[in-house]
Amino acid sequence: MRILLDKFSKSFGSTKVIEEMDLEVGSGEMLALLGPSGCGKSTTLFAICGIHRPTSGRILFGDRDVTGLPSQERNVGVVFQSYALYPHMTVAENIGFPLTVRRMAAANIRKEAAEIAALVHIDNLLDRRPAQLSGGQQQRVALARALIRRPDVLLLDEPLANLDAKLRLEMRSEIRRLQKETGITAILVTHDQVEAMSMCDRIAIMKAGEIVQISTPSEMYNDPRTAFVAGFLGNPPISFLKGMAEGGAFVFGNSIRLMLPALAAIPDGAVLTLGVRPEHFGTSGDVQVEGKVAFAETQGRENLYDVVLPDRSVLRSIQPVRNDVAVGDPVCWSLDSKAALVFAEDGRRL
Amino acid sequence: MRTSRTLGLIMIAPAAIMILLFFLMPVVLTAVFSLTNMSTATGISGGAYQVTQAAVNRLTTDMPELAAAIAGPRFVIDEEGVAALEALKLKPGLAAELRAEHLGEVFASRREAERVIKALKDRPSTREVKRISDLFNRSVLNTRFETRQALLESLRKLGFNLGPEEQEAVAKATYTGWVWTADNFRTIGNSPDMAQIFLNTAFYVAVTLLFFNVGYALFLALTTHYMAAATASIFRAVWLLPRITPVVIYVLMWKWLTWDNGFLSLFMGQFGYPPRNYLLDNAQGAWFFVILINGFIGASMGMLVFSSAIKAIPETQFHASEVDGASRWQQIRYIILPQLRWPILFVTCYQTLSLLASFNEILLSTRGGPGRATEVWSLAAYHTALQNYTGNLEYGLGAAMALVLVVIGVILSLIYLRVFRYDTLISKPLIED
Repeated sequence: MRILLDKFSKSFGSTKVIEEMDLEVGSGEMLALLGPSGCGKSTTLFAICGIHRPTSGRILFGDRDVTGLPSQERNVGVVFQSYALYPHMTVAENIGFPLTVRRMAAANIRKEAAEIAALVHIDNLLDRRPAQLSGGQQQRVALARALIRRPDVLLLDEPLANLDAKLRLEMRSEIRRLQKETGITAILVTHDQVEAMSMCDRIAIMKAGEIVQISTPSEMYNDPRTAFVAGFLGNPPISFLKGMAEGGAFVFGNSIRLMLPALAAIPDGAVLTLGVRPEHFGTSGDVQVEGKVAFAETQGRENLYDVVLPDRSVLRSIQPVRNDVAVGDPVCWSLDSKAALVFAEDGRRL
Repeated sequence: MRTSRTLGLIMIAPAAIMILLFFLMPVVLTAVFSLTNMSTATGISGGAYQVTQAAVNRLTTDMPELAAAIAGPRFVIDEEGVAALEALKLKPGLAAELRAEHLGEVFASRREAERVIKALKDRPSTREVKRISDLFNRSVLNTRFETRQALLESLRKLGFNLGPEEQEAVAKATYTGWVWTADNFRTIGNSPDMAQIFLNTAFYVAVTLLFFNVGYALFLALTTHYMAAATASIFRAVWLLPRITPVVIYVLMWKWLTWDNGFLSLFMGQFGYPPRNYLLDNAQGAWFFVILINGFIGASMGMLVFSSAIKAIPETQFHASEVDGASRWQQIRYIILPQLRWPILFVTCYQTLSLLASFNEILLSTRGGPGRATEVWSLAAYHTALQNYTGNLEYGLGAAMALVLVVIGVILSLIYLRVFRYDTLISKPLIED
């Protein structure tokens, strides 16, 4: 089902958290709300599920305006960061709770709970209590409980934050599988760009209560609208160099001079920031940059280097494993100017 | 290991001694007292042997003849009496004749003895006859003997030849100190008064507990949970007032409310009702106010315990249940109440015990009245042992009543643990990954 936020605003007292946000999530789509803590992404989620009431604006599920409806009357499934399982109920009772409160017959509840539990592979744990489950199992119970009533939208609030690294990887693909199998519209709230990029069809990146950019993961990675977006996506992160515009080129110190088509109309002397992703600095490229290796990290398949330039700026480089460079060595590596991103002083991409 | 264990014992010793002295000893002493007939009359140290009318009455039931004989006056012409007569310096002939003619004679009444004295040759005047006969009065009635030996010796001198059984019976009947006995428990078991007090107590505890200490407390905790935080804390603070008001003042305010010239009477007077004491006018009214007085004090504790227990439930569980479609009532029924099992058990258990044991509010308000309508077990024990209308404080019976209360408290606690399935509350989780 299509979810639409129309000029949605939310304030707590005099603090404005979200102002006039517009957001559309297509039917069957999985969208990530990505942003640092305090950017308003959880507030948006809580408004969609009805725990918070919007200060102004409308929320539509399909064509139905649910703005004024309490949570109980919206058909939403939510997986909370802490899972919020009911500790005194068994797994089956937890999963079946949304049906219990609708006064469905106990036998039917049990049957449906068992079906949905099979979908998330916990049908052997139905009589356990939450305290007797591992984190990953609890997560699956929370998912099953959110899905059992076939909600219009599945809301996931940092669902992987409390899991260890290996389980996180497993549940990432598991949640995506479920979402695709059930064809449900889903919104994932996360501060982890890897989660957002790997699980979702589209990402809405948020900063200070506003959506900065909304697009597919690869588009957002390759074509970020602002320096903030570029800095938020990518691991290891992009590195920035502060420089100046001069005759349609980006000038950094007296060593680097990049001719960039985007800078043709920029007056000389404007302050600019150049973003270089680690994979675009290393063995291949058109501009030579000299520096000194300050840090080297082996990641098995690849090595990550921090190169300090003469003015103490740092460029990161990721390269296939090589053993000929050590910390402290002077290097002269090449930078791919075509892939470099250039931003105006206010962070706007040029 | 050994040293640390010894050290632990040494460290805990002061506390252990305190517990023994102040916690365990009173219970043990209560048990000991409950097996005696101690009262103001017997005292708490040993007693003496006193031939009182009451003692004679006690003896009458088993040995009526012996009792009558002991109670009757006895006049014995013995050497001791004659010597005393000589010391009075009356006519010397009197003493001489009594010694010569009548020594050893025993008379069952003063009249018989005086007839003999009057008939003496020296003819004593009527006043003298009286004085002389007094000298030979050997009656044991209203005489106190320090030991059983002295009592029996005296009786033997008076011509009572008692068998061992009779000796035992007389000693028992005349003993003024306390003795070991299980009579207290028989009294408690058989007396219809005690049965009534027992029913009063059950009614009082059950109603106060159900409607106020747990029921009303739960109601307050749930309603304040769904209120705005500031309103809720004001509300809770108001309900704490009865608890923090000194009980004497608190009860006094209830008395002002209910006296025949109090607020209630004044108010009802507006509608033409004559003034009356609503507190003590009838049993129903007395119970109504006694339960309100105690309930309003008791509800605050449950309210605090339940409120904090509800606060301890993570907020996301409430969010989750709302999203799952639960109404407020379903939230209370499925989310809150099941998680309040332990606090409810605790409050029920604790308040049962405190309601059973406390009687100060009742003592201050109705004193168990009107009549004995609101007399509860602990108040009755207090009245029996410490504050008795007749003045004879029956420590033994009071202690037995207190002991019954302790036993009932322990039994009820065990039942509660069973009913609330305490074992499942403390079962260990099986975490596996």
